[in-house]
Amino acid sequence: MAFLQWRRFNFFDKEILKDTESDQVYDKLKDVNISACVSGRGQLIVGDHEGYVYLINKQLSLNMFKAYEIRVSHLYQLKQHNLLVSIGEDEQGINPLIKVWNLDKMEKGGPLCTRISRAIPNNKATPVTCLVVHENLNWMAVGFENGSVMLFKGDVTRDRHNKSRIVHETSRPVTALEFRTQGKNIFLFVVTEASVVSINISGKQDAKNTLEQFGGKLGGVVMSDHNQDNQLVVARPDAVYFYQSDSRGPCLAFEGEKLRLHWFRNYLIVVGKEDKTLPRPVQLGGQTMEMNIVTVYDIQNKFIAYSAPFPDVIDVLSEWGCVYILGGDRKIYQLQEKDTQTKLEMLFKKNNYTLAISLAKSQQYDQEGLIDIFTQYGDHLYSKGDHDGAIDQYIKTIGKLEASYVIRKFLDAQRIHNLTKYLQALHKQQQATEEHTTLLLNCYTKLKDVNKLDEFIMTKDREVDFDVETAIRVCRQAGYFEHALFLAEKHGKHEWYLRIQLEDIKQYQRALQYISKLEFSEAEKNVKRYGKVLMAEVPQETTELLKRLCTDYRPTDKPLVDQNMYDGTVGHIEKAQAENFIHIFVNNSERLTEFLEHMIRVQPNSPSLLYNSLLELYLHDIVHETDSMKKTERVRKTEELLKNPDAKYDLDQAMVLCQMNDFKVGILYLYEKAHLYQQILRYHMEHDDYVNVIETCKKFGQQDSNLWVQALSYFARKEDDCKPQLMEVLSQIDKKNLLPPLLVIQTLAHNSTATLSVVKDYIIRRLQMENDQIAEDERLIKQYREDTDKKRAQIEELKTTAKVFQASKCNICNHPLELPSVHFLCEPHSYHQHCFESYAENDSECPVCAAENRKIMDIIRAQEQSRDLHEQFHNQLQRSQDGFSVVADYFGRGVFNKVTLITDSPARQTSKSPATSRYV
Amino acid sequence: MSYAYLFKYIIIGDTGVGKSCLLLQFTDKRFQPVHDLTIGVEFGARMITIDGKQIKLQIWDTAGQESFRSITRSYYRGAAGALLVYDITRRDTFNHLTTWLEDARQHSNSNMVIMLIGNKSDLEARRDVKKEEGEAFAREHGLIFMETSAKTAANVEEAFINTAKEIYQKIQDGVFDINNEANGIKIGPQHSPSPSLPSSSGGGAQGSGCC
Ligand SMILES: Nc1nc2c(ncn2[C@@H]2O[C@H](COP(=O)(O)OP(=O)(O)OP(=O)(O)O)[C@@H](O)[C@H]2O)c(=O)[nH]1
Ligand SMILES: [Mg+2]
Ligand SMILES: [Zn+2]
Ligand SMILES: [Zn+2]
Repeated sequence: MAFLQWRRFNFFDKEILKDTESDQVYDKLKDVNISACVSGRGQLIVGDHEGYVYLINKQLSLNMFKAYEIRVSHLYQLKQHNLLVSIGEDEQGINPLIKVWNLDKMEKGGPLCTRISRAIPNNKATPVTCLVVHENLNWMAVGFENGSVMLFKGDVTRDRHNKSRIVHETSRPVTALEFRTQGKNIFLFVVTEASVVSINISGKQDAKNTLEQFGGKLGGVVMSDHNQDNQLVVARPDAVYFYQSDSRGPCLAFEGEKLRLHWFRNYLIVVGKEDKTLPRPVQLGGQTMEMNIVTVYDIQNKFIAYSAPFPDVIDVLSEWGCVYILGGDRKIYQLQEKDTQTKLEMLFKKNNYTLAISLAKSQQYDQEGLIDIFTQYGDHLYSKGDHDGAIDQYIKTIGKLEASYVIRKFLDAQRIHNLTKYLQALHKQQQATEEHTTLLLNCYTKLKDVNKLDEFIMTKDREVDFDVETAIRVCRQAGYFEHALFLAEKHGKHEWYLRIQLEDIKQYQRALQYISKLEFSEAEKNVKRYGKVLMAEVPQETTELLKRLCTDYRPTDKPLVDQNMYDGTVGHIEKAQAENFIHIFVNNSERLTEFLEHMIRVQPNSPSLLYNSLLELYLHDIVHETDSMKKTERVRKTEELLKNPDAKYDLDQAMVLCQMNDFKVGILYLYEKAHLYQQILRYHMEHDDYVNVIETCKKFGQQDSNLWVQALSYFARKEDDCKPQLMEVLSQIDKKNLLPPLLVIQTLAHNSTATLSVVKDYIIRRLQMENDQIAEDERLIKQYREDTDKKRAQIEELKTTAKVFQASKCNICNHPLELPSVHFLCEPHSYHQHCFESYAENDSECPVCAAENRKIMDIIRAQEQSRDLHEQFHNQLQRSQDGFSVVADYFGRGVFNKVTLITDSPARQTSKSPATSRYV
Repeated sequence: MSYAYLFKYIIIGDTGVGKSCLLLQFTDKRFQPVHDLTIGVEFGARMITIDGKQIKLQIWDTAGQESFRSITRSYYRGAAGALLVYDITRRDTFNHLTTWLEDARQHSNSNMVIMLIGNKSDLEARRDVKKEEGEAFAREHGLIFMETSAKTAANVEEAFINTAKEIYQKIQDGVFDINNEANGIKIGPQHSPSPSLPSSSGGGAQGSGCC
């Protein structure tokens, strides 16, 4: 036969109670004829067949009082009130009296008795079998041998205002009564030998519910605690049955005849008849006593916490945290529960960790302690080779037990599946470090468990409990690129994403699309970083992206109209600098051309670098283009570019480019644009293009007459016959008087082909002109001399003779002059004094002449200032064909004089020097 | 917690087939590796949802040991569903099914929905009873059939829920008299029998589309 019992432990220590003073076995109840026992408020209470009640306190001192004349039959101790309810007899016969004792009010003869009432159902004399009082002190029920139950409603402590009624009647003696409160309802359980009934007594009408067609015996019924849902427990020989107020609950098949049930904490204590196989009667005072077995069951954790034989058990009580068994030998046996740690250690010894855990939990063991058990259990299972079981335990230790301890164990054992499970749990509990993530992903990839990997990485909206970059890195290393990409995209790790696309799976198209979706600054950064590769692989799309990036970029997945536009605030358009991307095109000049053309078209004021580059591309093309049609087209485009007034190319650079590529049209255009006429000329000269040499001189001779001179010496040196050209040049030089004749002759002297006929006309005309000039000059000299003499005479006159002012009118008001008046030597001018004072800016200057004088003074002052301008002077001197006249001019302006305004010395321009005097 | 219906189940079958483990897995989502022999009758409960309705399952886990048979039998009465469990690694537990079935039919109401369960499907290597045999037995006796593993939880939910669905269907079809608690069905506290629910007297209005 199978072992039909729960596991058995020894979780209680048994001890016989001893007198604290004498240290002898406690025997004060030795001669008491016990009829009832209760406990619950700090003392053990015993009633006897002589009518006494004994109160035993913690120090085991005994108090007694006479409660009834004849005997005590039943006692009930309330738990929440220090009240004792008793039933007994004061008279012979069947005449039970209920008495209520207030144990807080001890008087001489015992506690205060607050109530005495009769308990006789329907005036039928029948012995009381059981008694129960509700803790709310409003209900009390008494069961009788004749099968009736009498219910008292009203204040239990008093006799008055009480109503009693019979709530139940059967033919079999009532064996137990219990109250059970369930919300607003109060149930009374009535157990007889043949039935279990619950009665809802709180309603208007009693609602009866027969729960079972067989019942229990006296003493064989108890209420369980809240852990067992406050169920009624009824012992029967085959099992212990549990009852709810409305139905039967579970049952536990503890076999054997049960004498008493008791509930202590979470334990059900059963006093059973001794097994027939162990008849060991005990001799006591000549009496033979049966042995009973007391078994303590932990209902919740399903084990036997204690079991031992006791002699003829009268009752089981609990008080002061212990269980007391009142033996037939009148000794009190104390059962003390071992502390949790001790119990756990006992379980560990038996490797019964599962039980240890549930026990620890039911004893509200702290987290640390539990973790400790999980660890021990894990270690135990591991050592037995039960890796699956072990990992489950270790998982429960997460957060407390060092993860590396567990990981090392399973790495050593090559238990990847277990390790994976543990690592997953670590992540789920947010306890994973980067190393753990790496390890977990490595486990997945090693196991080729793509599903798990998917779940770990790809699950949408999953809370991220790992280091993203680590995960990307590991996936990438293991070749799980899609996973890595997924993560990178989800978490905006653009660089990772692009590197994987470009370097690993070479999905350039996808990379490009990805960039297109990024915000501007990110997009720009990444194009800079990866543009070269992209250009090499997907040139067209890359170019398109670049165009957008440099003009009106917006991420492709962004709505065309965004919030900004609704708000009316036009979003600031970001664009990249095209010149930063030119290097990306490396060898793809076609794309670069396309790009640059686009940029220039869309943004004509693009920087010069763009134009330069485009020009360079064009020129390069022209040189290398073989197809003549295309070549012409290119040339046209190039010219167009060069001549485009908006084109911002750098002139010097463009020039160098055109020269390098020998692009004639360009070179000449640029020279012209830069006013480098000499260069144009030289260009034609170098190419011996006589026609153009002349043309150039004609075209630009106006701006730079030196061209003709150069042309002269150019043609003069030519050995070819270029008489017409020379003639042309000479005539121009002559017309514009560009060279002294002597120099012309000298120049032409180098030429062997230039005959006298070429220059004859020229020389004659020149000589004639010289003569005319000399004559004219002499005439002027004469005239100046005369002028000078005249001035000298005037000065002399002013100095020596008096001046007669004959003016009759004031020069201001034109009225006849009268005294007082003011006269100036100039003109002469005369004024009324009052007119003068109201007009003159200062009283030493003639108001009429003042304006003219000031002009002259200003000129002098300006000259004085410009005296420092050596630079300007030298420049002018160099540029000038006639250096002498420049020097003469400067000299004339007094540049070389120490001119001060105070001096009277006449400057060249001031022919009328302001001499002033004043007469009053 | 309030519920629309309460269904009573019993779990029966030889000792050690995994009845208690199935219950524990269903109610606590745990597995108990040690065999804790059920002594008597234990109890578990869980809420499930069928057709948008909250249904409370009250499950009686009985002891498989022969010696407890008289006690456990008294729990058959008033069960709406039964899980009859055997162990696919032990043929004797399969052979005893007929006895269990007779016992169940005799002590319970005739409408009781019985689900045949071949447990320990995780122990494929030690399989002693073919799946087809289980299916055949179920077909022959008009039972629903499933193989489960209380250890891996495979099909455990399904076993309990499918049984409930079958009972629920029988209620809809008017097979069960829901007002008789002996059928193992109870209407939830605030769900007093409404006229829209079909009773045994005949098919009521269909499409109970109310909240
Ligand atoms: N491998 C495996 N073992 C299981 C499974 N179900 C139960 N077991 C084991 O089988 C043994 C018995 O399980 P129980 O659930 O206690 O068996 P039971 O049917 O309740 O037995 P009784 O209570 O005696 O009727 C235990 O050791 C369990 O660990 C399963 O699905 N797979
Ligand atoms: Mg079991
Ligand atoms: Zn004047
Ligand atoms: Zn005047």
